[in-house]
Amino acid sequence: MSEAPSVAARPGSRNLVEVVLRLREAGVVVFLVVLGLAFGLATDRFLSVQNLTTVASSAAILAIAACAQAIVLITRNLDVSVGSMMGLVAYLTADWAATHPGITPVEVVAIPLMIGTVLGAINGLLVAYGRVPALIATLGTMSLYRGFTYIYAHGQEVTSSRLPPWMLSSVDARIGGLPILILVSIAIVAVVAWLLHAYPFGRRLYAVGSNGVAAWFFGLRAERVVFFAYVACGFLCGIAGLLYAARVGTVTVVLANGWEMSSLASAVIGGVSVSGGSGTVVGAALGAVVLATIDNGLVLLRVPEFWRMFIQGAAIVAAVAVDALIAEAIRRSTGGRRR
Amino acid sequence: MKMKLLATLGAAVLAVGLAAGPALAQQKTSGFKLMMTPKWTGFPYFELTGEGAKAAATELGDTLIYAGADHAEVSLQVETLQNFVTQKPDGIILAAIDGNAVAPVLKQARAKGIVVGTYDADAAVAGRDMFVNQLSYEQAARVMLDAALIDAPEGGEIAFIAASPTSPNHVAHMKIMTELSKTEAKYKVFSVVDTQYAGDDDAKSYDVAVNLMQAHPKLKVIISSSAVSAPAAARAIEATGHVGKVWATGFALPSAIKRYLENGSQKAFAFWDPWELGYVAAYAVHQKLAGKFDPKEGAVLDVPKAGKFKTFKDAEVVYGKPLIFTKETVGKYNF
Amino acid sequence: MSTSAKRQLPLWEMALVVAILAAGAWSSTLSPYYLSVDQLFGSTRAFIIPGLLALGLAVVVSLGEIDISLASIIAVGTVALSKLSAAGVPFAVAAPIVVAIGALCGAFNGLLVAKWRLPSLAVTLGTMGAFRGLAFIAGSEVGYTDFDDVYLWLGSDYVFGGVVPVSLILFALAAAGVWFLMHRTGYGRRCFSIGLNPDAAWFAGVDVVGVKIRAYALAGALAGAAALVWVGQYGSARGDNADGSILFVVTAVVLGGMDINGGRGTLSGVVLALFLLGTIRNGLGLANVGGPTQTVVLGGLLVAGVLRPAAAAAIARLSRPAKTREARAQGE
Repeated sequence: MSEAPSVAARPGSRNLVEVVLRLREAGVVVFLVVLGLAFGLATDRFLSVQNLTTVASSAAILAIAACAQAIVLITRNLDVSVGSMMGLVAYLTADWAATHPGITPVEVVAIPLMIGTVLGAINGLLVAYGRVPALIATLGTMSLYRGFTYIYAHGQEVTSSRLPPWMLSSVDARIGGLPILILVSIAIVAVVAWLLHAYPFGRRLYAVGSNGVAAWFFGLRAERVVFFAYVACGFLCGIAGLLYAARVGTVTVVLANGWEMSSLASAVIGGVSVSGGSGTVVGAALGAVVLATIDNGLVLLRVPEFWRMFIQGAAIVAAVAVDALIAEAIRRSTGGRRR
Repeated sequence: MKMKLLATLGAAVLAVGLAAGPALAQQKTSGFKLMMTPKWTGFPYFELTGEGAKAAATELGDTLIYAGADHAEVSLQVETLQNFVTQKPDGIILAAIDGNAVAPVLKQARAKGIVVGTYDADAAVAGRDMFVNQLSYEQAARVMLDAALIDAPEGGEIAFIAASPTSPNHVAHMKIMTELSKTEAKYKVFSVVDTQYAGDDDAKSYDVAVNLMQAHPKLKVIISSSAVSAPAAARAIEATGHVGKVWATGFALPSAIKRYLENGSQKAFAFWDPWELGYVAAYAVHQKLAGKFDPKEGAVLDVPKAGKFKTFKDAEVVYGKPLIFTKETVGKYNF
Repeated sequence: MSTSAKRQLPLWEMALVVAILAAGAWSSTLSPYYLSVDQLFGSTRAFIIPGLLALGLAVVVSLGEIDISLASIIAVGTVALSKLSAAGVPFAVAAPIVVAIGALCGAFNGLLVAKWRLPSLAVTLGTMGAFRGLAFIAGSEVGYTDFDDVYLWLGSDYVFGGVVPVSLILFALAAAGVWFLMHRTGYGRRCFSIGLNPDAAWFAGVDVVGVKIRAYALAGALAGAAALVWVGQYGSARGDNADGSILFVVTAVVLGGMDINGGRGTLSGVVLALFLLGTIRNGLGLANVGGPTQTVVLGGLLVAGVLRPAAAAAIARLSRPAKTREARAQGE
């Protein structure tokens, strides 16, 4: 504790941290604008209201998953079971809806949220109380949740004609010309961001993530904070899984396969540090928008698929490099020592 | 004396039928042990082919084991095949993920006298005894374009969504469709404007379809050989308010596109009967083992319940029974 | 702490050995084909490639870092080998070049992680996509299969009466080499000391940056070697080679007792874990158990494996007299 106190723990520097966090988000926004202008110059189709709406709806669900991932990342942990949780939640919900014709919208929303919460709690128990390293615990549950989905589905899928029609049409609805999916996503991210900002739980997340030992000294029960971070992550994955199912219409066992990586990539691009303690859920959501923008722009420009992979990878490396530069700048300005 | 006679007879037969050696040596006509692996398990299409193959095996007095990894990864498929070979089956049936990568283990299997039949996606020719092709590439290309003509008789711009640039059948379909749209009068109303890849992933297919509609405002039809991408494209058209302006078609299980045909947002999709394809594939391997079918060019495979199927160059047995689903017919199918 | 850890580790390896024997015995009841020399040696081929990656990853993990881009480096390696093969370069020249390219990719990761101090998970998440993208861009879409037989020897041939795969010998040599490096040389000690406490290692004069870069380069080189085996086994070089095998590799390293936070673990544990996973997958595969069930078994095994010490600790904590706990609480 004698050396290199984390900036978050330094009295008086909290404002600075907030400024920097905002700056980092502003950085993502600036990057988005530059990217948008570049695509806009390259093709006149990019900067139309309709196309930007398309980009936003592509990003909407990933933004929620990225937000879920970010909450866990902030506590200096990680959840690679995000995709498997979404898949299991979506399949169980869709199967339930398909086999119970009279199902009400309330049930369709409540079931995935409950299942997601339980799955998140299992991860939380393993990591927080079982003291299993996050990567390993969630790698295990990633296999378990996905494997369970396969075994439960038994070679079947839930097709769109078996789902209640209102389930599909409700995500297609538009309010004031904007797809409801975008509004829902913005609302969820905003609520989560507000909760983390307004309630002590949010500050505890950062405290535990930036310096677990210090947090412990200040009387914080790190286990509980980490546990609830995973619960929140599972809950949000429940929402994301439901929206995914309703959006794509056909629910298969591989639903959201690989989303652990895209959610992680979004969060990292959005300035959430995998080393914990820094970044915001809004940044993570913006990271998802960056990924969707790259996807859309490259299709519009007819760039081959492989370049997308390469560019996305390079964007991640660039994002962490920028973060490191910013962190270095903070250290200098606050007189903190380099480790 | 009798033994000697039998031996000379055997030798004579061997000399005639070059590749048929191991099958003849056993002189069995039933009770074969067949093992089958799809690209990956858990996908309804492959599960149906497995059920069809099992039905054929049961009818013919064979046993059939269906197993495989839960995702399409070639090293896992090779491991599955290696495990198959160890169990000394009489025949192996597979849908290859990467036709070249599975070739070494298949060659090893054939060297041990195991009859190897591919279906759905072929392996390198040297690695298998026959390929039961659901539709010849040209047939597939034509049936998809025919479905597109039902959607948009006036023609217009078409775009493709394929699984990946490494999936040989998708690439071949697209190439032939592009050719046909330039050469054949019937299809000249179409012009191919774009090709995108979605890796058999539903969300990616959806996003790619939406992006395609953005990129090409005059786009008329989105065609996909992927049974995952075609329904996702239909859903994307429905959800983004492009119904009546853009159509999706290609290969899809009827159950997956029933909704769109019934609510009128789509007009036609194509496919084949996966259950029967599996049935025919297992039947073909059995007949080869029993010495009743030699997959040489021109040979005919007679499957009483399914039909007669012709063999083409490189032991390609074409099943070739395309189905087109429309609002009126989609209800007839239970898969 | 460190003494108890030292005492714990051989115990863990013993447990792995017992588990391997149990899994083997169980497998032999599952399938009559399991117990044969050909089968047992032949089945190891499926684990050589992830095994080589696991050796490299173990070195990186000992530092408290991670590298999830290793499978993508295989793709870079196979595509590079295909280019060399197409150019008619003899295998004896091409092989070291591919290993060197792998090492370069690894060193690039190492540079970003060690020199620029970027978080390794995020960096290698990025290079995972970037390397695979590069492999696709360079190798075009169709891939390459016209390898000369000499190119395939390493991955497809057998020695000692046609029973032992050549690739298994390569793996054994690599495993022995990495074991020696990590447990018998100063470099290995420096790796573990950095993993335990990077600051203390730095104060003690360890060249943290250099050690890390070399570890990543080694992991990359082993991935390059794995690319040679890949081409030999599958005769195919494509941008999507070895896509998705990294999770199995991480599982093996962790189950082998490497502390994911660095500083602790042994290479022998990692090798034993590979054997355990291989035995289980081989047995289940021969019994034609479906893929999903295998996934669940491996996932459950991973969680159970790491929960074991935690469970022991929890029991110890609960059985501790209440007084001490109260005293501790006051101290807090």
